[in-house]
Amino acid sequence: MADIKISNLHKEFGVGDDKVVALENVNLEISGHVFVSIVGPSGCGKSTLLNILSGIETPTSGSLTITQAGAQAAPGYVFQAARLLPWRTVMDNLLFVQADKSSETRARCQKYLDMVQLGDMINIIRTSCQVVCSSASDWRARWRPMLIFMDEPFSHLDAITARSLRRELHSMWAATKKTIVFVTHDVGEAVELSNRILVFAQGGILKDDINVELDFPRDPSDEAVAVAKANVLKKFEELDLLAT
Amino acid sequence: MRVTEEELVKAARRKDLTVRWVSRILGYIVVLGTWEWASGRVLEENLLPGPTRVVQTAIELFNKGKIFSAFEATLTRIVLGVAVAFLVGAALGILTQNRWFAGFFKDAITIGLTSPGLIWVLITALVFGNRWYGPLSAIVLTTFALVTVNVAEGIGTLPKDTIDMAKAFKVGVVRRNRHIVIPHLAPFLFTGFRFSFSIGWKVTVLTEIFTASSGIGFEMRIAQILFRQDEVLTWILLFFVFALFFEKVVLQAIENRFFRWRKEIAST
Repeated sequence: MADIKISNLHKEFGVGDDKVVALENVNLEISGHVFVSIVGPSGCGKSTLLNILSGIETPTSGSLTITQAGAQAAPGYVFQAARLLPWRTVMDNLLFVQADKSSETRARCQKYLDMVQLGDMINIIRTSCQVVCSSASDWRARWRPMLIFMDEPFSHLDAITARSLRRELHSMWAATKKTIVFVTHDVGEAVELSNRILVFAQGGILKDDINVELDFPRDPSDEAVAVAKANVLKKFEELDLLAT
Repeated sequence: MRVTEEELVKAARRKDLTVRWVSRILGYIVVLGTWEWASGRVLEENLLPGPTRVVQTAIELFNKGKIFSAFEATLTRIVLGVAVAFLVGAALGILTQNRWFAGFFKDAITIGLTSPGLIWVLITALVFGNRWYGPLSAIVLTTFALVTVNVAEGIGTLPKDTIDMAKAFKVGVVRRNRHIVIPHLAPFLFTGFRFSFSIGWKVTVLTEIFTASSGIGFEMRIAQILFRQDEVLTWILLFFVFALFFEKVVLQAIENRFFRWRKEIAST
């Protein structure tokens, strides 16, 4: 489990007339074994927030602390698209982000590759492998950190595969004490997975913080889940976030 | 008997290989045969010595130690010239990432790309005479821009997403450069080197014809002045053999060893 504290976080891109505000004075706390989804329209700063949390971007102003048991956390990040090194093998790609390259780490990578039927392809350099690897095994093989950021990891998968991976992700999260921050543009996905939904609007404004109090596992065809999804969408309407 | 798909693929590959090699060898036989036939029939033997005569001359030159010394002189010039062109070109490729430097060098690079090597050979021959840095300057001026555009393109297409991924996983800057930036730039550097070498090779021989007192170009000029057509053709033939050897054996081996992954990606 990890603790995230964000205060007055502000991010701008460009200067002068080209200046764009990506996040406007965001204040937020995320703590413990939670699954938090960030939803909002395109360009509302969802991915920028994850990039700042993971250290890829630096904020223009404001502060943030990410701790795990009192020490600085080392989060994992699952990106939307393949971010692999085509000159390295499948196994070497997974090892690239591991500080410890011991046989135990290798065995762990192997275990997750086996899970997605890529176990016998560890020495192969192939784009086709990368695609499968990035979408399916990437987030499993990088599962070790206690804090995980996920940026629309299922958005480019077909509905059936995405559904089964969502189930798997939920059961893995439930079985551990991990904190997950999950960016999505799919309200249904957010309701199905999360116990907390943060709603962002254009200009990077945090508009709402919704607790989803439904028992897990949640089936999208369940009436209660459908009602919860409708309620969240209703809030979107109230906040004027839906295109009319 | 049933034929498996694997056997069909193997048979197709075998056929492909046979066609490729038979046609290649046929090409050699036809050209060499026509040449041998034409020697003494179409043109006098003094004007067009046949391949057998040229091979005999090559053996004589080899026994005298001339081939080795000429190649040594020429290759030393090429290696030095290409090395300096590579350093200058790569430095400019890095500098031109800055808008000011890009503007400053833009036209110089375009001129460098489009000018024929001959003009630099003439200019450096006039300025430096037969001093050792004459050919070197000609090679640098003719080929630096090829390295510059390749390096600039490599830097311009650095995979920002992958670098961000590495940053998110707290991979240090040294490992990021070692495992992302350098492997990404390597094919661009290799292409720059390949072009630079193949053009540098031609420019070097040209400078030797005009100014040098050693090397392949120099030997060709002397043979031409003395009207030893068989020697002129021998040097030309050796020139072809070396160029083919370097391209098909050395560079191809480097490419297969280090850039296998590119072929695999292209085939998927």
